[in-house]
Amino acid sequence: MAAAVVAESLTKRFGEVLAVDDLSFSLEPGTITGFLGPNGAGKTTTLRMLLGLAAPSQGRALVFGQTYAELERPSLRIGAVLEATDFHPGRSGRDHLRMLGQAVGVPDSRADEVLALVELQEAGRRRVKGYSLGMRQRLGLATALLGEPDLLVLDEPANGLDPEGVRWLRDFLRAFASDGRTVLVSSHVLAEVAQTVDQVLIISRGRLVAESSLEALTARLGGAVRVRSADPTRLAAALAHEHFNSTPNNEHGLIVSGTTSERVGEIAFAAGVAVHELVTEGSSLEEIFLELTAGEQS
Amino acid sequence: MIAQVRAELLKVRSTRTTVGLLLGMVALILLFVLLTGLLSSVESLSTVEDQRQLLGIGALAGVFSALAGVLLVTSEYRYGTIRPTILFTPRRGRVLAAKVVAATLAGIVFGAVGEALGWALGYAILSGRGITFALNGGDTVQLVLGALAGIALWGAMGAGLATTLRNQVGGVITLLAWGFVVSPLLFGLVPSVGRFMPSYAQDSVIGLTTQHLLTPAAGGVVLVGWAVLLAAAGLAVTAQRDVP
Repeated sequence: MAAAVVAESLTKRFGEVLAVDDLSFSLEPGTITGFLGPNGAGKTTTLRMLLGLAAPSQGRALVFGQTYAELERPSLRIGAVLEATDFHPGRSGRDHLRMLGQAVGVPDSRADEVLALVELQEAGRRRVKGYSLGMRQRLGLATALLGEPDLLVLDEPANGLDPEGVRWLRDFLRAFASDGRTVLVSSHVLAEVAQTVDQVLIISRGRLVAESSLEALTARLGGAVRVRSADPTRLAAALAHEHFNSTPNNEHGLIVSGTTSERVGEIAFAAGVAVHELVTEGSSLEEIFLELTAGEQS
Repeated sequence: MIAQVRAELLKVRSTRTTVGLLLGMVALILLFVLLTGLLSSVESLSTVEDQRQLLGIGALAGVFSALAGVLLVTSEYRYGTIRPTILFTPRRGRVLAAKVVAATLAGIVFGAVGEALGWALGYAILSGRGITFALNGGDTVQLVLGALAGIALWGAMGAGLATTLRNQVGGVITLLAWGFVVSPLLFGLVPSVGRFMPSYAQDSVIGLTTQHLLTPAAGGVVLVGWAVLLAAAGLAVTAQRDVP
């Protein structure tokens, strides 16, 4: 199947500053991709070029084979949220959706549907002024979903969400991608998206520094999982059976390298070993960045 | 395009801004008509020109129509809704055209309310004070329809100007300074140039016969010209620049 999104040598210069530097990647349909990097790395600028809001200085970005602006009614194929605060405070959430929908022939009933989908049907007729940040995030998502898109592009959608909201978003994105639809979600916090995404694109200072599946990235970084269990010997054997090396740590602990806490938990469960503690170590984005940029320089 | 205009009209209707502007307009027109109609002497309300001045006060609606046009555009930049707007309609020229049309339609509403109010109250004051009505049918039609067309075009000019400037405070200040400071100064100092300013072009359209004004027909052409020019400037800027 053709790629849903292709970036070809995408470059954006603001005067002297090179915000996005020769970025190339492609996203396969049906995948969830985390677009990661610290604040100011060029994530939003990249997404803005992808969505036709900003013109690239060089290169181009294609969505479903065309530039965004070339697509006829792109909002019926691509749903996007760039800022969680892009609402007129004096307008109701429902009217916000209606005014956007009317421009592309989406009926008002669809506005009510997406409000229900993001659990805002109660608040829909109230002014956005009174919405919490989490409610605004969900209204943004409702905006993106209006046109029943096949591709979602979300910039920092987990900002301002409480843990319950983050889980809701994760489940939502999983369900969205499960029937062949594609998600590109940016974040400056790896932990926020680690449990959601299939693959990651990591950029730093406008350049792509990593493009890989989450497992490959974890393995490449030698990310380790610390686990404390009732029977470390049996767990070590079960892990070895799955080709994961572990080293003893304290009395009941093991350090497992090259995997995720999810995988270790699943193996322990399958082996019937009770787990008392399960911690992923060394997976903060900063550490990954240090690894990756150090790797680039050597 | 019709769908886009409907969407823009919903933007106009779905906040309290428009109602606020309408109320402000009603208050201002009431005040001016009452002051002029009640404080002027009977002699200074008897000529055709005097009565045109009084009954034409409703044309003040043009200021509010223009403000509505400015706010329709700049509130999108102020609150960031320009992003979803352009995501849904990436053809920026289409968005601009729809805004100009919607602002013109909103301007017709402002004009209708303002003119009806100004006219009715002015007429009531004239007859209440026993002053003979001096305007003939043709004068009256020109005064009302000319003002209505001018007020509607002010909406279009506001939308075009605001698309060029983007900034809300900047747009409002530019509009007010242009209409109430720059144009009167220019008309006072260099009337041969000042008469081409939209507020004086509108004066000529409604039939005022102040010295140096253009003919009504020329005034109409100049008003349409301003609306087209400002929309073209907005289009040029919008095609060039990134959406913020």
